[in-house]
Amino acid sequence: MFFDIPFEVPYLLTLLLVIPLVGAILTLFMGGKREKYAKYVAGLFSGVTAVLASLLLFTADVGVYNESYTWIETIGLKMSYILQVDGLSILMVFLTGLLVFMVTLFSSKESNRPNYFFALMLAMEVGLMGVYMSADYFLFYIMWEVTLIPMYFMISWYGGPRRHYAAIKFFIYTHVASLVMLIGIFALVFQAASGGVADFSFAAVLAGSFSETFQSLVFLLLFFGFAVKMPAVPFHTWLPDAHTEAPTAGSVLLAGVMLKMGSYGIIRVCLEATPEGAAHWQSLMIAVGLLAIVYGAYACIAQKDLKKMVAFSSISHMGMVMLGIACLSEIGVEWAIFQMFAHGLITAILFMICGMAGHNIGTREIPLLGGIASKMPVFAGFMMFGFMASLGLPGLIGFWAEFGIIFSFYEYGAANSMIWVIVFCLLSLLLTAGYYLWAMQRTLFGRLTAKIDLSHIHDVSRVESIAMGAICAFILLFGFWPDAVLGFIEPYVQGLTSLGVI
Amino acid sequence: MDATIITDLFGEFTPIVPMLIMLLGALIMPAVTFGSKRRNAVTAAALVVIAASAAVNIVLLLADYTGTYAELFEYDAFAGLMVLLFQTVAFLVTLVSASSTETTRLHFGAFNALLLAATTGMMFVATANDLITIFVGVELASITSYLLAAMKRNDPRASEAAVKYVIVGGMSTAITIYGLSMLYGVAGTTNIEEIAVALSTQGFSWAFGIALVTMIAGYGFKIAAVPFHMWAPDVYEGSSTPVSAFLATGSKKLGIVVFFKIFLILFVAGTAVASFATEEVQYVFAIIAALTMTVGNVVAIAQNNIKRMLAYSSIAQAGYILIVLAVMSEYALAGGLFHMFTHVFMKGGAFLVVGALICAGVGEKISDYRGLGRRAPFLAFAMLLFLFSLAGIPPLAGFTSKLILFSATIYDGNGVMTQWIWLAFIAILNSAISLYYYARVVKAMYVETGDSEKIKVPKAFTAAIAICVLFTIVLGVYPQLILDFCSDAAAALFG
Repeated sequence: MFFDIPFEVPYLLTLLLVIPLVGAILTLFMGGKREKYAKYVAGLFSGVTAVLASLLLFTADVGVYNESYTWIETIGLKMSYILQVDGLSILMVFLTGLLVFMVTLFSSKESNRPNYFFALMLAMEVGLMGVYMSADYFLFYIMWEVTLIPMYFMISWYGGPRRHYAAIKFFIYTHVASLVMLIGIFALVFQAASGGVADFSFAAVLAGSFSETFQSLVFLLLFFGFAVKMPAVPFHTWLPDAHTEAPTAGSVLLAGVMLKMGSYGIIRVCLEATPEGAAHWQSLMIAVGLLAIVYGAYACIAQKDLKKMVAFSSISHMGMVMLGIACLSEIGVEWAIFQMFAHGLITAILFMICGMAGHNIGTREIPLLGGIASKMPVFAGFMMFGFMASLGLPGLIGFWAEFGIIFSFYEYGAANSMIWVIVFCLLSLLLTAGYYLWAMQRTLFGRLTAKIDLSHIHDVSRVESIAMGAICAFILLFGFWPDAVLGFIEPYVQGLTSLGVI
Repeated sequence: MDATIITDLFGEFTPIVPMLIMLLGALIMPAVTFGSKRRNAVTAAALVVIAASAAVNIVLLLADYTGTYAELFEYDAFAGLMVLLFQTVAFLVTLVSASSTETTRLHFGAFNALLLAATTGMMFVATANDLITIFVGVELASITSYLLAAMKRNDPRASEAAVKYVIVGGMSTAITIYGLSMLYGVAGTTNIEEIAVALSTQGFSWAFGIALVTMIAGYGFKIAAVPFHMWAPDVYEGSSTPVSAFLATGSKKLGIVVFFKIFLILFVAGTAVASFATEEVQYVFAIIAALTMTVGNVVAIAQNNIKRMLAYSSIAQAGYILIVLAVMSEYALAGGLFHMFTHVFMKGGAFLVVGALICAGVGEKISDYRGLGRRAPFLAFAMLLFLFSLAGIPPLAGFTSKLILFSATIYDGNGVMTQWIWLAFIAILNSAISLYYYARVVKAMYVETGDSEKIKVPKAFTAAIAICVLFTIVLGVYPQLILDFCSDAAAALFG
């Protein structure tokens, strides 16, 4: 970015896994009398991780941090511990570090067994970091699954009234999807095996040669695995349940970085390893993306629960990502990655707002709210900011992402002489603006509600506003200066082009 | 490592020394009981015997020792590894047996003697290279297992289980010996490798076909492969839990070792493959494997008794291991052997947790496990690891071993794709199903609330469970600890 740091941190990528892991173990054992200090330990470890993750942004050549060690080597198999980052991963790693730290600040008031709560969060961070940094399918799959278990417990211990159902649904859905993905990975790795050794590293798979039929079959397996995580309509039904029941911290991480695992996988695995399969199924991806953006937006209008509305808006916005990727053009993928980053920041604000509505007001039901702005001005400010960012107000980060994706989709439509498909995007934009403004109008403005007891209502606390303010600052910063983000994406996308992917 | 210290000492008996030590232990165990009435002393003696036997075996294994005894026993990397597996099982079960309230207090010496004798029988099979020794070993292990299953005498369920076990076991023996004699009739010899040679000149005959079918059925009972599995849940539920652990992790492996010895040598390592297509036999095994894992997992969903659930889950696990016989490649065998090892720790560990809780007065129903996460944090966490490992969640041992085993259906280890990809789909789908019922137990332990009274567990149980936890994690992140031995063993069996 502006400047490059002149020093290297040895084993930086491994540290990004080890520090949260150590933090998770330490906080786990802070039961009993010490549990009130758990948040400080968690804050320290997630803070250090966030700082280290942001160092990557200021490194001229991230190649120096590559790590590669052989892990398992037996007859016919080779699995390695390979960590590396490129433009795509740096953004995700930074996002993970930032959001986990902010969410730790945000939920510092957690009083129900806080040691387990923060341990789960840090454990999740290990998995997320691992997914975004690993360059070996074995390690990638392990990390992919590692994120599941903390999330399961996060929902089933700290969630809302229907948490058991939501947690098990989340677990089964995403686990089945990842098993299907695993078959796809097997197929890739074993087909690429040369010299009698099946090497699980990304590089070995890229070196393999696959026929077009093979690619289009394997693409489907992998795509299914990633699309459920993303989630793509019609495999999205676990998401609204999981979000509605999850605690705020869980929702933020789920929507902010965990859903990105799906789109990250599509770019990293589907596009890089099976480009011909992606080309073959391009219209499927387009259809899935369009379905998600329109269906998600319509579903938002019908929601009464503020948090469920935000959950459906995530489906809609992740559909945008899918659409960008599906264009299979340089700008499409570029803006899709930008949208992943933008949505990660914006959705964090939105879920924090929903969490505060539930906690500070006592209900998230839109029909029960009204005129809250007069009682909670700071809350109202953040809510307006978040909603505006999400609906794509120029000057905020969300605008650039949607602008870029729709632009590239227009280009795709024009190239295939079906410009009319752009109507769906515009419809979705219209609906998005509609449901956000309508929700804002019903909750914040108008006559102060008399349907709920307002005597205990209180505005945003200082630490909550620090967490949210920091994220808002990034939304604003990158909204005015999208080039800072694009600077990481461009080289990566050019790499994809030179691979012949797009 | 050098094995001269052992070969000098035992000379030509070296290949069977681990067994001899175990056998002597079984014979002197009643005497130890007469000498000291204290259960801990008897257990200590049994543990010393097992440890001595294991030490000898490990030295031989590390020294890559090979040798034969009287043309009936052959010690190689495969035999050594399987002997080690049976010794591990025996060690874990013996460790907890003194502290378990379920094992009989009346005949504790007999209990230990029978356990050691059963282990001896299993080691017999592992080292055998002749139909006669295989048969004798299986019978020794089976008959002692019947007694072990019946030792909880006051419980009618145990008696029912034992009677069922004896009847089914007797019938399977009858069927097996019929098949073995047919095989002898066809080949004119009882040495497996010579049979393979004889068959390669004769080609396929109906008598040989009948021998195959009866052997699959007979030993299919032993490993509780579908459709020969009906006895297993009743027996595992009725027996005392340490014995259930022994049967699920030890006896079952015995049948699998027999299958490996007979079928892999006949069809692959021998030259029989040249004279007739083995594909039909492979398909039979593939179908049995698919049925076994599916029935095991689907029926396990409906179980409310945790021992029955674990029983059905171990039926499913046997189904996974049978993949080896469908694929019949060296790579698959290495994966299968590795899975057998990880299965000892995760399934054995799960049974031990159940046993420990029974000692502490917790019931066998899944609903009795409510709130266990607060009542017994260590046990609940161990159970969580074992169940997730069984379901194949990384980075635990069950994931790594399943990954290698399942990948064998896609890939033969030499860069060639195989025709068994559909089996991989079924196996992976089954893993997904299994997660559902394992997650139910986890949910009961950690999410639901129940009694809040803390649970105290005997130290021996804690130690044994800690060993299992350790290996469940270590074999997951550092599989090469065992995996290298498994590939050596597979190479040894395939010659």
